[in-house]
Amino acid sequence: MKRQSFMWTIMLYLFIGAGTLFAQKYITREATIAFYGETALETIDPISNQGSSVIDIENKALAYQVQMKSFRFRKALMEEHFNENYVESETYPKAVFRGQFTEDIDLNTTAEQTITVKGNMNLHGVDRALETTCVIKVNEDGTLELKSEFQLKPKDFDIHIPSAVRNKIAETFDVTVKGTYKPVN
Amino acid sequence: MRYVYKALLALFIPFTGMAQDDLMDLLDEGETTEVVDATFKGTRLINMQTNETPAPGVLQFMFLHRFGAINDDFLYNFFGLDNAIVRLGLDYAFNDWLNVGIGRSSNNKTTDGFVKAKLLRQKRGTDAFPVSVTWYSAGFLSMDRNRNFDLTSDRLTYVHQLIIARKMNKSISLMLTPSVVHFNLTREAAQPNTVGVLAMGGRFKINQRIAITAEYAPQLVNPNFRTGSEGQRIDYQNGLSIGVDIETGGHVFQLHLTNSRSIIDPDWMAGAATGNWLDGDIYFGFNISRVFTVKEPKRPED
Repeated sequence: MKRQSFMWTIMLYLFIGAGTLFAQKYITREATIAFYGETALETIDPISNQGSSVIDIENKALAYQVQMKSFRFRKALMEEHFNENYVESETYPKAVFRGQFTEDIDLNTTAEQTITVKGNMNLHGVDRALETTCVIKVNEDGTLELKSEFQLKPKDFDIHIPSAVRNKIAETFDVTVKGTYKPVN
Repeated sequence: MRYVYKALLALFIPFTGMAQDDLMDLLDEGETTEVVDATFKGTRLINMQTNETPAPGVLQFMFLHRFGAINDDFLYNFFGLDNAIVRLGLDYAFNDWLNVGIGRSSNNKTTDGFVKAKLLRQKRGTDAFPVSVTWYSAGFLSMDRNRNFDLTSDRLTYVHQLIIARKMNKSISLMLTPSVVHFNLTREAAQPNTVGVLAMGGRFKINQRIAITAEYAPQLVNPNFRTGSEGQRIDYQNGLSIGVDIETGGHVFQLHLTNSRSIIDPDWMAGAATGNWLDGDIYFGFNISRVFTVKEPKRPED
């Protein structure tokens, strides 16, 4: 009897262990990340389609990263200033978010599901806690869509805006991230 | 028995702990190649061209100004501010490597045109390349009524350059520009028609918006003076300038002190009209650039 329960336990561990090893993960390398900030003088709305992200359904984890130099602006000079003067892309080449969520994602429904992700955003070498809701939708073809909107302030990430251009650069930017994820084999 | 359980437990627990790192590993794209950009703030350093061209679809207006010599009747001419020569220029970048422009300078009443093309680019990463190489060719047509030109072609002067630049790190950029200047007709008979110049320049960024610049353009000719038409000795100077770049929004202001009052390339590089720094023959000048987006950059779909 004792031996049998030991076997069961091993089986159980193997099962959980295997589950962790081959956890259902979804990945994308073409996520869109756009931010938008408007003042009376200037609208700043760059976009990147080179965000990469993974969702780990089993461990309820989400990771996101984007190369700062992949953002495209409407004015080339703005883009150069963004990289050279504000986010200092050579020193801090990417923005990284890592977070956890508590809700279960049901892969068997195509209805929209909302999860709350809490985690850490690293941008311009500064770490800040970030909490946002994400809308997830599982498609018929097995892909998964994720969309989220949140706000970021340059000030929180030690991005200094000189007084001469302060009325051209918004204090708060609306960030929208979108992506279609494929299962990782 | 119990320690077996514990050992098993210990074996499996790490998988959960590693989940986050695994995720980041999945996202890792390995080392990639990155083109080095923003080697210099502007398309001109002071008098020299840099390896930069405006962004694709951008029209650049450049306003260059050189005042009279600081030591020329100091207060009467208000340190040279009363006598100024200018160059107004417009240039356009068709794509990320080709830049074409025209300009007009009050210096010898010259109209000029240039082509600038990025041939090779400095790259970092797996496919690294140490320098960027840019080709620059310009033609200058003097409309001066007071000089005796027999032929229209006598009014023409050319400059060809190969600009080799390297961004050493985020604050220091250097360039070396082997150049050839050709005068169809020289001012003085003894002046060579073709002069080689090995121009060099650099910048040092003090902070994100301010940089110190300097350039020096030694002429590859001997001796270091020329004989004028009446046998007189004409000393000439190599172009030497120092400046500061200040960037605000859509403008770059470049303020400088230079020993050349001429703005157009053949004159500041190989002309005889440059002053001596040691004698205080220096001129205050500035370049202002303003860019206009004619064609919006390509963006990913929203």
